[in-house]
Amino acid sequence: MATYLLRRVLLGVLTLLVITCFVYGLARAMPGTPLTVQLGEDPSRKLNPEDQERLRRIYGLDKPWYMGYAQWLGNVVRGDLGRSITRKQPVTSLIAERIGPTFLVSGTALVLIWLLAIPLGLYASARSGHADERTASLLLYVLYSFPTFVAALFLQVIFSVWLRGTPWELPLFGMTDLPADAPWPARWADIARHMILPVTCQTYVALAYDSRFIKANMEEVLRQDYIRTARAKGVGPWRVLVRHAFRNTLIPLVTLLGLSLPALVGGSVIIEQIFTWPGMGRLFFESIRERDYPTIMGLTLMFSVLTLLGQLLADVLYCAVDPRVSVE
Amino acid sequence: MMAHVPHLRSRGFWAEAWGRYRRRPLAMAALSFVGFLVAIAILAPAIAGTKPVLCRYKGRLSMPCLGYFNRSWEPAVFARDRFRGTYPRNLAEKDPDSWAIWPLFFQDPYRAVRADEWPGMPANPAMDEGRPSGRNPFGTDQAGVDVLAKMVHGTTVALLVGFVSMGIAGTIGIVVGALGGYFGGWVDTLTSRITEIVMCVPTLVLILAIIAILEKPTIWHTMAIIGATGWTGIARLTRGEFLRLKTSEFVMAARAAGAGPVRIMLRHILPNALAPVLVPITFGIAAAILVESSLSFLGFGPPPPTASWGSILNDARSNYRMWWLVVFPGTAIFLTVLAYNLVGEGLHEATDPRLREARK
Repeated sequence: MATYLLRRVLLGVLTLLVITCFVYGLARAMPGTPLTVQLGEDPSRKLNPEDQERLRRIYGLDKPWYMGYAQWLGNVVRGDLGRSITRKQPVTSLIAERIGPTFLVSGTALVLIWLLAIPLGLYASARSGHADERTASLLLYVLYSFPTFVAALFLQVIFSVWLRGTPWELPLFGMTDLPADAPWPARWADIARHMILPVTCQTYVALAYDSRFIKANMEEVLRQDYIRTARAKGVGPWRVLVRHAFRNTLIPLVTLLGLSLPALVGGSVIIEQIFTWPGMGRLFFESIRERDYPTIMGLTLMFSVLTLLGQLLADVLYCAVDPRVSVE
Repeated sequence: MMAHVPHLRSRGFWAEAWGRYRRRPLAMAALSFVGFLVAIAILAPAIAGTKPVLCRYKGRLSMPCLGYFNRSWEPAVFARDRFRGTYPRNLAEKDPDSWAIWPLFFQDPYRAVRADEWPGMPANPAMDEGRPSGRNPFGTDQAGVDVLAKMVHGTTVALLVGFVSMGIAGTIGIVVGALGGYFGGWVDTLTSRITEIVMCVPTLVLILAIIAILEKPTIWHTMAIIGATGWTGIARLTRGEFLRLKTSEFVMAARAAGAGPVRIMLRHILPNALAPVLVPITFGIAAAILVESSLSFLGFGPPPPTASWGSILNDARSNYRMWWLVVFPGTAIFLTVLAYNLVGEGLHEATDPRLREARK
């Protein structure tokens, strides 16, 4: 196990090196620099050539990209992700600022998904083949194919145009309309109201997918001999389903949970963009548009680490819960 | 002596799979929807447009509507005679003997129709006035361009994106997976590593960065990028299939008969691995359409003259009171994605022997 972990970690570090190097090269190859993209549009804020040259030197933009990458890598090894060029603050504090709102939405969504997906999946496998199950499964499948950003736009149209002025009207943009010094109950209630639509959008697709996944796994298990044995000795149908069958489908579910790790803190670029939610996905999109290299790199590093960690976690958990599987 | 035995061939794998596929009404409905989209895409200029499908002008027959596919396919005589894109009036004025067969629906996907361009027809409403009406069933956008015409012509983009990008992704994925699975050893280590790296690179960064680097990104670039990033799942699956099949008896027999590795991979293993690999490719088509429309929605799609469903959605963002800019293209994207997913699902159930056994 120890050698396996060591090998995986070493390979992971190698993968990270390749990814960051590649993304850094790509980011630097995009036309424009943070200085020109940010100031370029507005002639009154145009820097004179000397200032521009000075800033370029300060941010290391005068060096070729591989030198810049080496410098960035050296700082990362020393635990420094650098400072955002366009936002004038350390990348770590920028991430710390944005991770909360993203986690609020994706964490709520994750809890909702599992709370709803498990009963739905169990219900579908209990009623498998019946008319009600078929209708429900078809609806879930249709929901699964409904693109999130289209759903987000539909919801915005419904709540901004068709429900305007009714009690069901919901805020469409941002996280809160209240100032930061508002009393906390009102503030949290307002944030909760703002969260409804983004959370809905992040929940329904995964809900549809996960409940189908649970049902597929349940069907596999329900064919096993020990289920027949349990039924034959007179165990009630729900007890068979939950205690005998569902427990044995937990293994793939654990894997699925591990793989959803990056999305939990990475957020969704397009959902956060549509609802102008101040989270990580939006930060990512903005940093690409602003050519803010340190932020792009910090976020890429974080996402890649989480993706690799999620995969490793899924594999290790798999071995931990199923003694038949070995890491080799 | 051998008696004459009637030549009985058992049905092949694909014929049998088709037989099973056909029995699934939803999958068949989805397949016919895709067929319907293909028909719309091919016939787009004849369905909605302002250029005649067929006309006789100055003694010559021509099809100016082909100009919607490619500018240069529009006969030069119309540019010489200063038609400037408006046919009905010009045809009658410049050649009284001319005649024309018009598209079903006289609206242009790239510009608003002006007043009296078609005798007696008013100009398209612009800004947020263009709610759906008899003349513009799906409404018009801010510039007064008809949404139905835009969507009809955008079908080509949606279909091409799916087929071209998954063609690219499928080719890369199958080649990478086949090499890794068949040869094993260091080849496998290398290809698996590359696959993992591509999986970990955030797709959006990759796509946005490459689009930014290109001077003039066209829809073809977008397709190439989606294809170049979307092959990892296919590669993994192909690798697994090749790993499984390379030890089977028929491969050993082929090797004993002296077949080289390329021949074994292409002629013996690939046809047997194709069915499971086609399933993720079909789902990939749905995913590619999604990626393209979300890119267009974010404003990183093909440049304006190309009509794409996602870019209509982007126009809607400035004013939600123009709900028709959201509802119609959004529904089109949804139905297309759903159709491809259902086709993939049907294919999966028709070709996977394990599922068939489960059904019994």
